[in-house]
Amino acid sequence: MSATTQPAPATREAVARESAPRRKASKYRTGGPGAHGSVTGRVIAGIVIAALFLVPYVVMLLGSLKSRPEILRIPPTYLPQEWHFDNYVSMWSTPETPLPQNLVSTIVISVFATLLVLLVAVPAAYYTARFRFPGRLAFLFLVLVTQMLQPAVLVAGLFRQFLAFGIVDTWLAMILVNAAFNLAFAVWIMHSFFASVPKEVDEAAQIDGAGRWTVLFRINLPLVWPGIVTAIIFTFVAAWNEFAASLVILSTAGNQPLSVALTKFIGQYDSAWQYVFGVSIVAIVPVIILFAIIEKRLVGGLTAGSIK
Amino acid sequence: MTTDTTGTQAGATTASAAPPSDHHAAPPGADDRSRRTWRGTLTALPWIGPSLALIALIVLFPAGVMIFNSTRDISQSGVDRGSAGLENYADVLAIDALPRVLLNTVVWVVVVVGLTVVISLALANFLNKQFPGRQLVRLAVIVPWAASVVMTTTVVYYGLQPNYGIFNQFLADIGILEVGDYGFTKNATSAFIVAIVVAVFVSLPFTTYTILAGLQAVPHEVVEAARMDGASRSRTYFSVILPQLKPALSVAALINIINVFNSLPILRIMTGSIPGYDADTTTTLIFKLIQSDRRVDLASALSVVNFAIVILVIVAYMRIVKPMKGVDE
Amino acid sequence: MKDPNTRRTTLSAGRPLRLVALTAVAGLTLSACGFGGQGGGGDEGDGTTLDLLVPTYSDQTKALWEDVIAGFEEENPDIDVNLEVQSWDNINDVVRTKVQSDQAPDILNIDAFAGFVEDDLLYSADEVLSPETIADFQESFVENASMDGTQYGLPLIASARTMFYNKDLFTQAGLDPEAPPATWDELKDAAAKISALGGGTYGYGLPLGSEEAQAEAGIWFFGNGGGYGDASEITIDTPENVEAAQFFQSLAAENLTQPDAGATDRTPLIDVFIQGKIGMIVGLPPTIGQIADKNPDLNYGTAPVATKDGSPVTLGVADHLMAFKNEGDKQDAIKAFLDYYYSPEVYVPWVDAEGFIPTTKSGGEELATKETIAPFLELLPNAQFYPSTNPQWSAAQGAIQSLIGQVAQGKEAQAVLTEIQAKADQ
Repeated sequence: MSATTQPAPATREAVARESAPRRKASKYRTGGPGAHGSVTGRVIAGIVIAALFLVPYVVMLLGSLKSRPEILRIPPTYLPQEWHFDNYVSMWSTPETPLPQNLVSTIVISVFATLLVLLVAVPAAYYTARFRFPGRLAFLFLVLVTQMLQPAVLVAGLFRQFLAFGIVDTWLAMILVNAAFNLAFAVWIMHSFFASVPKEVDEAAQIDGAGRWTVLFRINLPLVWPGIVTAIIFTFVAAWNEFAASLVILSTAGNQPLSVALTKFIGQYDSAWQYVFGVSIVAIVPVIILFAIIEKRLVGGLTAGSIK
Repeated sequence: MTTDTTGTQAGATTASAAPPSDHHAAPPGADDRSRRTWRGTLTALPWIGPSLALIALIVLFPAGVMIFNSTRDISQSGVDRGSAGLENYADVLAIDALPRVLLNTVVWVVVVVGLTVVISLALANFLNKQFPGRQLVRLAVIVPWAASVVMTTTVVYYGLQPNYGIFNQFLADIGILEVGDYGFTKNATSAFIVAIVVAVFVSLPFTTYTILAGLQAVPHEVVEAARMDGASRSRTYFSVILPQLKPALSVAALINIINVFNSLPILRIMTGSIPGYDADTTTTLIFKLIQSDRRVDLASALSVVNFAIVILVIVAYMRIVKPMKGVDE
Repeated sequence: MKDPNTRRTTLSAGRPLRLVALTAVAGLTLSACGFGGQGGGGDEGDGTTLDLLVPTYSDQTKALWEDVIAGFEEENPDIDVNLEVQSWDNINDVVRTKVQSDQAPDILNIDAFAGFVEDDLLYSADEVLSPETIADFQESFVENASMDGTQYGLPLIASARTMFYNKDLFTQAGLDPEAPPATWDELKDAAAKISALGGGTYGYGLPLGSEEAQAEAGIWFFGNGGGYGDASEITIDTPENVEAAQFFQSLAAENLTQPDAGATDRTPLIDVFIQGKIGMIVGLPPTIGQIADKNPDLNYGTAPVATKDGSPVTLGVADHLMAFKNEGDKQDAIKAFLDYYYSPEVYVPWVDAEGFIPTTKSGGEELATKETIAPFLELLPNAQFYPSTNPQWSAAQGAIQSLIGQVAQGKEAQAVLTEIQAKADQ
């Protein structure tokens, strides 16, 4: 339980004292109002909640398996009359858009935007949580301001700017856009998590001779995993679904992300809804997979971080 | 005793917030200096520099263009015809529908964020309990976050369409509607309510997970101590756990306020076919100024106004809620 | 980038920080001007690259254009054509952003061109088309594509509206399925009888939602001798228009239409007609194909749109190609492409596949007998068009789309039309 990777006994102690106890897997650890339910009650509630959250996507999934005429039938059908699983095959080679390339684009842009955000946000969040310096609040506010601007009105300037940089219609442009405009949450949420790590932890390590960067990466990071995971998901999802800037900045069909590709199935008078729904389902899957992988970190938090 | 423990713990939670006299808050050396002089800012540069650079490189210019455009006379095809002074601002303020739109915006933000926070607290609390299949429920809850907001809204919109909407049909089949042709999205009030429901729905995962992450950081011993003292579950929750959640919760609410304020797709889809401005917020009005009226200059001016409002709201929020409590004291 | 100096000085007043940033950006701009065309990586070699931006008409649109481009590039190996396809929802945003940054496409396919002419952005037709190609356009379309006697728009496709009616519902309601209504009174009578059938059946489908309200409203206005005005003046709040608006208001008020007519978009409503739930609705050429696709059993007929006194009139719509005067000498390349595109062997199959009415004489002759187009071709002589050569029209159209539905919600017709007129006059 106290087997951190840190060499300093004082550090280990501090970590253990402040945080280790919450690793005990007690069944009723944080009760809340009305938290009397039996396990069965919780399972039932869980099923109801899951169902509620999935309804729109079940409709989407069923729609994606219908034939094109059936989707707009009156009265509507709940289940497809014929199950068109082939929609999920044919969508990859439609004349409207090169979907495999769109998927690759979305993945590349989201992954690198997320990495870039972590790269610049972690040090900033850590330092502003640990040290006071003139301009600190101004910095935090400035970061927040980037979140307040309206994308619809910004695209004109963004486009012009990337023309000047010579990177219009490139992934790099969209990686930068997504990173810059999603910085705020990452900085702020990690800031609040770093702030909750007791300073004794740092001090102890520094007495041991560890540099600040070492303190950050080897001691603090493992302690704030839940915050980092939340930041990763937030940034990744935002980049994954970004539309307004991609629409204008990426003009080559193969460079465009799924969010823009979707609109290609919407015609002037008639739309291929089965593909719109199908692509939407496909677009959800990678995010769920990412989440399933890192969710354990969120739950596991400290254990995962501190036991090697 | 309980309250004492809480107090200490809360203090530790926002350790950085501790006033200067607080000894353990001051690491040896550089920090003392950095508090007093601008050299501290220089020392901070390697840490905050990359963020600053990214913002300066990407955000500054388009934001400048927005402000610049708001003072120009721009043709419908996008050509700059010269300066318009502050005329665009005067025109924006003269829009008849503006009071109604501002009121809608307030209702929209307050109701959506309020409901989101309350429901998320309950949901996070539930998802933090142990039960078989919990991970699957957590995965289900994440889905609206993973899905694009546009698509979630589109599905609900089509589901609520008269005649061929599947939700409408369902309501008719279980006897709530007589015929499945009620137009939920066809009048301002019901469309606005449906939009609020969808907005809360898509905001829940993010908020719930932020709170859930915060719950992970609530020291178990504190809760135990409270229990030992005989505090009831709800008392423990409100006086022990909730204060510990404040940092995560207040950041989540902050981001929600900004995002809901600037949220376009939900209202655009749900209320898009309704004539007039009865269901518009400032954000959808900006969109209509661009899309229908072809007035980029006017839309830019309204954006600047909108931006100013958001900043004021956020400053007020930070004053009242103090998401980084202690820091600005 | 355009006049960076003006921008810099104006902006920097009192904002030293921004000045620094903008100077940096402006510097980058200057050095980046050498990149020339958009796309960053596009090595142009010794050939010319044309950017072609088009909207999606159907799910074939992209493939059809790709065929055209492949054929053209084979004949003109030194010219590359970059195709960008956008949905109708998005294309205006994309175009405006590009024009704002001096990156207009070389050739654009869209509905309205007058705004671009006003800003002097377009080549005239004779600068980018051979005389033979110009001579092949049908006169009515040329007239509608010209401003002050100069043709700028290159008519691409046309459509006209006609009334579709459900013969089975007519029979059930005791109406003669071979005698569709020609006047408003007859239409109202038929709508009442069909609505009386109940069971989610509506007499007349009235789509006044924002999607294309200006078309539906326009048909009623034209049917009363009103309209939207001409190249020099937009007229919305005329007595004829008000009377027409009051008439369709009465249809909605008396429940002879689907519910919430003021907020019903056209595309979903046509689907309701296709599913057999609406007696009469105004449709367009692609509707025929959609019926064949989705509900081939529908027993329907087409008839001229009913007007107040029964005199034939309908709404005609034409979309255009237009060529932008961009930097670099691309005029010859544009001309080569457009002449290639409008040659009958290329153009006729294209327009036929999209299911619209051709705008060229040769195309009209060749497709005159197509059953999907014939009912509309007949109407064209009586077609009235939007005043699309009036630069104010775009704003007027937007105002109609976002406001006219209020009439069906019960707001006074005169007040709504006056409000729209005010927006158009801005």
